[in-house]
Amino acid sequence: MWLFLISSLDASMIFTFAGLGELINQRSGVINVGIEGIMLFGGTMGFLAAQSTGNLLLGFLVAIAVGGLLGLLHGFVSITLGVDQVVSGMGIWILGFGMTTYIGSPYAGPLGMERIPTILGISPFFYLGIVLVVITWFVLSKTNLGLRIRSVGENPSVAEVSGINVFKTRYSCVIIGGMLMGLAGAIYTLDYNPVWGYNFIMGWGFIALALVFFSMWNPLILLAGSILFGNLWQLSLNPQLVLPGILSRYIWRTVPFAITLVALVLMSTKWFRTRWGAARPEALGQPYLKE
Amino acid sequence: MVLKGIKRGEMVLEARGITKRFPGVVANDQINFEIKAGEIHAILGENGAGKTTLMNILFGLLQPDEGEIYIRGERVRFRSPLDAINMGIGMVHQHRKLVAAHSAIENIILGHPRAGNILNLKSAEQEVLALAERYGFKVDLKAKVWQLSEGEKQAVEILKALYRGAEVLILDEPTSALTPQETEKLLESIETMARDELAVVPFITHKLPIVLAISHRVTVLRRGKVVACMETAQTTEKDLAMQMVGREVIFRIERADVEKGKPVLQVENLSALNDKDFQALNGVSFSICEGEIFGIAGISGNGQQELVEVLAGLRNAQGGKVILDGKDITHASTLERWQRQIGYIPSDRIHVGSIGDFSLVENTALSHYYDDQFSRRGILNYDALRKLTEEVISEYGVAAPGPETKAKNLSGGNLQKLILARVLSRNPRLVIANLPCQGLDIGATEFVQNKLIEAKKEKAGVLLISEDLDEILSLSDWVAAIYEGKFMGILPAGEAQKENVGAMMAGLQLKGYEL
Amino acid sequence: MRIGSHVLKLEKRATLSGWKAALISILAIIFALALLSLVFLLAGVNPLIAYHEIFSYAFVNQFGLPLTINRSIFVLLCTYAFIIPYKAGLWNIGMTGQLYAGSLFVLGIVVAFGGKQFSNPTLSPVLLIPFMLIAAMLGGAILGAIAGFLKGKFNVNEIVVTMMLNFIALWLVSFMIKEGGIFMKSGGEGESFELPKSLIAPLIKGIPFTILIALGLAVLIYYLFARTKIGYQIKAYGLSPAAARYAGMSTAMIPVLVFILGGALAGLAGYHYFAAVPGLYKIPKNYTDFGDMAFYGIICGLIAQGNPFAAIPVALLFGGLSNGGRFVQGQLQMNFGVDYALLGVLMISLVAFQFFYRYRFSWVHVEKEKFDVVIPHK
Repeated sequence: MWLFLISSLDASMIFTFAGLGELINQRSGVINVGIEGIMLFGGTMGFLAAQSTGNLLLGFLVAIAVGGLLGLLHGFVSITLGVDQVVSGMGIWILGFGMTTYIGSPYAGPLGMERIPTILGISPFFYLGIVLVVITWFVLSKTNLGLRIRSVGENPSVAEVSGINVFKTRYSCVIIGGMLMGLAGAIYTLDYNPVWGYNFIMGWGFIALALVFFSMWNPLILLAGSILFGNLWQLSLNPQLVLPGILSRYIWRTVPFAITLVALVLMSTKWFRTRWGAARPEALGQPYLKE
Repeated sequence: MVLKGIKRGEMVLEARGITKRFPGVVANDQINFEIKAGEIHAILGENGAGKTTLMNILFGLLQPDEGEIYIRGERVRFRSPLDAINMGIGMVHQHRKLVAAHSAIENIILGHPRAGNILNLKSAEQEVLALAERYGFKVDLKAKVWQLSEGEKQAVEILKALYRGAEVLILDEPTSALTPQETEKLLESIETMARDELAVVPFITHKLPIVLAISHRVTVLRRGKVVACMETAQTTEKDLAMQMVGREVIFRIERADVEKGKPVLQVENLSALNDKDFQALNGVSFSICEGEIFGIAGISGNGQQELVEVLAGLRNAQGGKVILDGKDITHASTLERWQRQIGYIPSDRIHVGSIGDFSLVENTALSHYYDDQFSRRGILNYDALRKLTEEVISEYGVAAPGPETKAKNLSGGNLQKLILARVLSRNPRLVIANLPCQGLDIGATEFVQNKLIEAKKEKAGVLLISEDLDEILSLSDWVAAIYEGKFMGILPAGEAQKENVGAMMAGLQLKGYEL
Repeated sequence: MRIGSHVLKLEKRATLSGWKAALISILAIIFALALLSLVFLLAGVNPLIAYHEIFSYAFVNQFGLPLTINRSIFVLLCTYAFIIPYKAGLWNIGMTGQLYAGSLFVLGIVVAFGGKQFSNPTLSPVLLIPFMLIAAMLGGAILGAIAGFLKGKFNVNEIVVTMMLNFIALWLVSFMIKEGGIFMKSGGEGESFELPKSLIAPLIKGIPFTILIALGLAVLIYYLFARTKIGYQIKAYGLSPAAARYAGMSTAMIPVLVFILGGALAGLAGYHYFAAVPGLYKIPKNYTDFGDMAFYGIICGLIAQGNPFAAIPVALLFGGLSNGGRFVQGQLQMNFGVDYALLGVLMISLVAFQFFYRYRFSWVHVEKEKFDVVIPHK
């Protein structure tokens, strides 16, 4: 049972980091539907780096760097080139999906390295995750920087005439977001389930996207949602803990995805919609075009 | 602050030879403009004359192709609004440039260099309140901007510019969204600012009386060029109008007396909620007969949009009834309403009234695709639609290369003509015109107004929503003033005046007009 | 960039002719192939040799060409499944799941009529094969309808929904063909049973008859959008849901409709792969392979800009490239996933080149820069 909880928390942190990255993106008005691609790339390159050098830390750093680069790419295509953000995100996803399948295939298999030391039995990323969530929440709601980011996400032309560089702000957010997403991918391949298999992230990137919507752009709610989801995921892998013997394990694997669907539908009900609509960064998804 | 220590009368801002070209048009052509400290120097020009471009250049949003700007004698170059702000230029836009979801004070300190890392709203609030008092502004700084009235929002923008240290204040169409009473208060504030040695530049389209009332000097723009620059005391309204347009301008449209027929539309006690679930429409009742223009005067945001949407079937009525030609259509679908001969000209012509990437033919089809005349067994008759489009293009004088042109390539005035053509070509019994002349130049405005009168002559009932009180008063047979979702009074044309309607628009209940 | 008194500027395009758009698309493909050569280089392979092998195998070789055509039909059907919702402004990335659902329904029909136990099912193939086609469309349509309904009624983001459904369908297939599932082959092994010989899709000169369906669809889809009332409404909704609503169109119905159509076509793609490609005729162990190939439909649809006829040559090209890529991977001893890498670079190139649909380069004459003063910042 304890093992179950630990694994759940580990899984939760992956959702948390990826979701946090996307939350920061979206607060500045940029949506990235290709979270999955960045996670795949970060996880793959991190895995490669760690396995070939024997250095786990290097693996994580590489993942962060790769994630940042992909975030930069997404930013370049959608902010500077002005391509539709959803199209660009799709491109990042398929790029990640396609390239990592090729790049990672010779490394398929277990990582074969020592696990990361745990603190109080729980992975250190758990603590890091909580710290980052709190920092993000604080920065966004209580600091000047946060006000600027939020203004860029609500109404970029207003921010511009107030003297804020919209492009710079959005680029920064997209790069930081990408770094977090790359890190999330690496947590998967280097800590949570240290085996490389193609498309290992199995839809988590999209679930993270749904979680960001569900959290109404509040990092604290995001954390709660991620923990909930991590538990759900672990449950689907180990249904015998709760409902032994009922239903094939394959059906259980569909549960997290089905629950995401249900959550999305719930989000569109009246109660949710008005609050959600109010919290939504108004300029989300719209390119900022200087006329 | 570069501008401190300027004495009254000293040249603060000077622009020489400003020229700016866009593909196909010269927006600004060798424009010269200057303003002194403590002066109120108005800039007049219709839509399309180049005001917005000039404004954006002065504020650093655009770079001029030619020309120089001098601040207190020194040549400067604004690479971005930040440069302009740092030089003491503050701008207040016509369409509020505020973050609706944030509070007033958050908007005011956004981007302020002294804001510090951690937000300290309290001390900022005190400083801003001091400014507000000095110039006679009353705003609740903690309120979210979307909760404020238009006048209050404008005050927030002005305070934001002042708090940033603006010594030249550029105001874009400052009175267009205000009630007559709010306008007076604003003018007073502006005069106080001028006395305080601020330089104020109001950019105005056609509120000539305001120009005359308040400015010291006025510059008139026409087609990108400066055509006149004179002391206000030495000119008249008629004079200015002629400079603006280049010909004699008729100030009042002929109302045209038409025999009234039976009621086309009857609205009984209609209520509705807005998108944020607040009561936007609060029990409105009225009726429109054939051959009547019913005008609703009011500041945007008092329920007009919701009323129009309920009538069009785009919003559910919370209570009450809508009766068209005797039939209860309160729960009818939008399509059914169009088929029952309601025509609706929406206020947003770009995003709702038309589809930019569609050709003119396809846009015309928006009003005809469900007609048996143009579609049989699921197949659209594009040839017939094209023919119809060609007819209406010439009848309405839409300037376009051909019917296959994409709608996004049309100018605002032409697009509105197209939409009018599309809607009126169905010979509707009820025409709902929501802000039909917004953003149009005088020529296009005249055209649209005449078309509405024509519709009235054709025995249609016309519902006109407008923010321009003059327009309502000159066109309508009945005038209703709306405030917070209720009609404060419904007056026949003969009794409706700027004073009483203006007062009702602001929420005053006048004796004798209770409903 | 300046040369003398002229500056290279980026300008917004006013119009975009069909030819120019096609040119940009071709450039994007070439760019992608150039990027892929980097991949070849890194693997120690000469890209020119690699491409030569790819193209000759895919389009000239007597074994490679039929495989290419089969893949192309598959890609084309997926492309159409993508294009229809795309015209409505919606993203159908659920083709994978929809084709799985279609395949499951097909297998269901086969089982229902005894095709699993007996090599001659109880009903004649003349009747059964059309049933199978309908079943495939139905399966895909149902999955698509879920996404469409959620979007139309609740405005739920269709990207996340279709992706979730993809995974759900993926596990459902596993459930059905592994560990004692209904469709499992009698020997176990985690793959489905083989279709009885009589139910194999008829071939025309070695090509499955589904090619006729695909080409026929091209015409139908073109006609749908060019001439019909419903096609007009879909286009209007895709460009501006607000304007469509204002015009009286049913904005709740259109997403459902396009996703049902798209899903049905993806289901057909499933039928094609599992029942029509010579040599296969079952859901194999590595069924995720062509589930993933469905994503080529996205790229093909984007490059063809939603034009069903333009999609045909592009689908053929992609079919050949991915087929050849697989081949070359073995030939030149490269790592697994060359066709996946191709998928990736194609997509990102295309996305980046979208920029050129809206902007173009031009030389502009400018005056010499005048002396300017910089504002001191505080």
